[in-house]
Amino acid sequence: MAETRKMTLGIQDVEDLAPDDDPMPTEPMTLNMGPSHPAMHGTVRIILTVEGETVKDADVQVGYLHRCFEKEAEHATYTQVFPYTDRLNYVSPMLNNVGYALAVEKLLGVAERVPERAQYIRVIVGELSRIADHLTCMSAGAMELGAMTIYFWGIKAREWIWELLEELSGARMTHSYVRVGGLAYDLTPDFIPKVKALFPKIFAVLKDIQDSLWENRIFRDRMDGTGVITQEKALSYGWTGPCLRSTGIDYDVRKAHPYLVYDRFDFDVPVGSKGDNFDRYIVRMDEARQSIRILEQAFAQIPEGPVCLDDPRIILPPKQAVYNSIEGMISHFKIIVDGVKIPPGEVYSYTEGGNGELGWYIVSDGTGRPYKCRVRPPCFIITNALREMIVNRPIADIVPTFDMMNMIGGECDR
Amino acid sequence: MPDPTPPAHPELVTLKIDGRTCQVPKGTNVLEAARTLGTSISYFCYHPGLSSPAVCRQCLVEVKGQPKLAPSCYTPVAEGMDVLTESEKVVTARAQMLEFTLVNHPVDCPICDKAGECTLQKMYQEWDGSPSRVDTGKVHKPKVVDLGPEIVLDAERCILCTRCIRVCDEVAKEHQLEMAYRGDREQLTVAPGKRLDNPYSLNTVDVCPVGALTSKDFRFAMRAWELYTTPSVCAGCATGCNDEVHHARGKIYRLVPRENEAVNKFWMCDEGRFTYKEIDTARVAAPRIGGETSSMDKALAFAAERLAGVPRELLGVVLNAQATNEDNYFLAKVAKALGITHVYLAGRPPKPERADDVLRSADVNPNTAGARVIANALFGAGKAKGTQQLNADIAGGSVRGLWILGDHVALDDEALAALAKLDVVYQSPHDNFLSDKVSVLLPAASWAEVHGTFTNAKGLVQRVRAAVEPPGEARPHYELVALIAKRLGVDVSVGAGALTAKALFAEMKGAVPEFASASFGREALPIQLRFAASRG
Repeated sequence: MAETRKMTLGIQDVEDLAPDDDPMPTEPMTLNMGPSHPAMHGTVRIILTVEGETVKDADVQVGYLHRCFEKEAEHATYTQVFPYTDRLNYVSPMLNNVGYALAVEKLLGVAERVPERAQYIRVIVGELSRIADHLTCMSAGAMELGAMTIYFWGIKAREWIWELLEELSGARMTHSYVRVGGLAYDLTPDFIPKVKALFPKIFAVLKDIQDSLWENRIFRDRMDGTGVITQEKALSYGWTGPCLRSTGIDYDVRKAHPYLVYDRFDFDVPVGSKGDNFDRYIVRMDEARQSIRILEQAFAQIPEGPVCLDDPRIILPPKQAVYNSIEGMISHFKIIVDGVKIPPGEVYSYTEGGNGELGWYIVSDGTGRPYKCRVRPPCFIITNALREMIVNRPIADIVPTFDMMNMIGGECDR
Repeated sequence: MPDPTPPAHPELVTLKIDGRTCQVPKGTNVLEAARTLGTSISYFCYHPGLSSPAVCRQCLVEVKGQPKLAPSCYTPVAEGMDVLTESEKVVTARAQMLEFTLVNHPVDCPICDKAGECTLQKMYQEWDGSPSRVDTGKVHKPKVVDLGPEIVLDAERCILCTRCIRVCDEVAKEHQLEMAYRGDREQLTVAPGKRLDNPYSLNTVDVCPVGALTSKDFRFAMRAWELYTTPSVCAGCATGCNDEVHHARGKIYRLVPRENEAVNKFWMCDEGRFTYKEIDTARVAAPRIGGETSSMDKALAFAAERLAGVPRELLGVVLNAQATNEDNYFLAKVAKALGITHVYLAGRPPKPERADDVLRSADVNPNTAGARVIANALFGAGKAKGTQQLNADIAGGSVRGLWILGDHVALDDEALAALAKLDVVYQSPHDNFLSDKVSVLLPAASWAEVHGTFTNAKGLVQRVRAAVEPPGEARPHYELVALIAKRLGVDVSVGAGALTAKALFAEMKGAVPEFASASFGREALPIQLRFAASRG
């Protein structure tokens, strides 16, 4: 007759697990985390030196998704760089499109002349992208702590947004929707009502996520007080965006240095207080809600009108003119073959991307392609602090800390 | 604060252009004076190498105190002149002239060879940009007119700048082109009883600001903006015209002249432009031993073995005026180290009938002067023998082995017959009448595939740059020389680093006095024409 096995449900008292007087001897062990590790998003490798469960040292290695974006841009016309920018932060390509276009327009000296409607549309697609970006970060962050359902909810909402952006631009993720001096197309006729219909649904998803997680013991235990960074440290690393705001500093490019028409909207900049992972989570949650506030105001204010500059040296002429007049033909030819000629000079232009200040430093030598096109990728700068944040903490803290930084390979590694 | 007064100089004229003071020699026109300040004025008919007829009215500028705008290409500078090149009046005039020029211009860019390097396109995009206001049809003119052996005219595209007429008159010194009819019917034709067949006819295509004159050779061959340009020097004759090699995906499409006031100014002869065609004709891509294709290793070992088997006093080397200075120097150096005393200079035989007083020289080798000074410096003045002596030595049996730099060596029938009995190592880019008479044929890179220098007839050391990759196993002469020399036990180290043309040049500067003050020139990576800003 088989022996009856006694089983206990739940964990034993912590005291029972306490080490006795003669702990097992441990020695440092080298562990390879990533790049093929689900929590490393396939693009980062950390060589850990662990003692037991404690990380004693970490060598964070980025660059597995390096595609020579900056060098590639030097061989493309200014317009041909747009598809490359889509692939930087590929979760919010519209924000990259807009940031790059603003930089080129600043260098060209036409930033103020871009039609108002185009500026509003740039805000609208940008804020939609920001919601998608934050939804991705929040749902993936919860999933990697075990909350699979949250992931499905968040990604479902992200897909609603991407479907609309696909309707607008023709591509689900790689939109290439913005152009130097304007936009590729105007909004589709029922785009605004469709986005408006989404608002209650997105709010509901955000509420569901909040209701499921805010009181969730596992989630709070792993997020509260982990990955803490002080304001001074965050500033010294050059942090920006939701991660910086989690420490209580309210720097948001949209408020501090308004671009496009951001100075016409009433919105708040959510900040945290402790600078831990949970703060970064709620900052993103609130920012998504603020983005919807901005969208609602933008829909109320958006004027009718053209979406491109009226300048034949920058914007392609209509096809009628291209095929029937030599003037249109030459303009089309020169813009396509030589690119939009930008006067020699250099520019730094910055916008609020999904992860923080997305900066562009462009140098022109007077030809139709950038002499230098440098991106200041916000998450690359944030990832610099990862080592310091995980050392002397348990291995398990790496996952939420890395998640809440929202390192996006495409942007970090370029 | 007023501008500081520059010192008065009898030969210099001081004037103001857009508020900036400049000093230029007397007689300079305003357009060139503006260029010294980095201000470019748009123009079609003006060309720095030709006379100024001021027919296109595109270069109008405002001269303070004069009621009308003045053509800057035709207005000489005057003391105290105050010129505005971008005032509202000037910019409007430019745009209006372009609108006028475009009235009858056909919508041909997609099928026009000049598209992408067209001055009219460039000017319109830079200075006009406004849409057409014409709603009547365009005046039609003849589209495919055969003007001569190399040129096709599209009269509709012509903007009547007359540059081509002046190139023929002033450079080739032959009056072959003229304008006919008047007003909007005016068009370019050949002069009565003439054809456009002078030896410099393709310069008309270069100076044509639009696609009216096109080269039959380049017509519909390639889109100009996809080409890459590598600066080089023509290997067609001893003049050494500076040129640009235009190539794409390893294939050369054309050679065009590059400005050099000291050599060719802006021009180049038709024959020189077609030298690129020889590169791929009868090309040797793999080594051959006794006519049979072989591996490089085997061929090199065989070459070294044959050369080693000949007594040194019966061994000769042949330097070549077709090869670069670096190649000639290195072979001469190795020969000296081996104790070889028979040194010959070869090359293509001269063609006196092609010589003129413009650019074309009777000597059709690019490096006769260079090969000679190298031989003189290493073996003593006058020690290197010519091809006549080479023929006699081969036939007479005073040499039993030869190491020849290709490609061309002018041997007579008697010498050729005797050659088969000798041990001959022949490095050549091309197959020719020698290749089946030699013991070993090694594939060499041509002038378009190597870095190096040529010395032209005036003694100028000029740089050639590799534009394309050599085919198959072909490699530069100096590399082949090094590979054989190593097998013969000669120390082939040049400088501290790898064996390159640059290192050879640096060593040559010390060894050959004629090179002491020469420089190897900067590296130039190929630039795509659409970004090069050098044309159109």
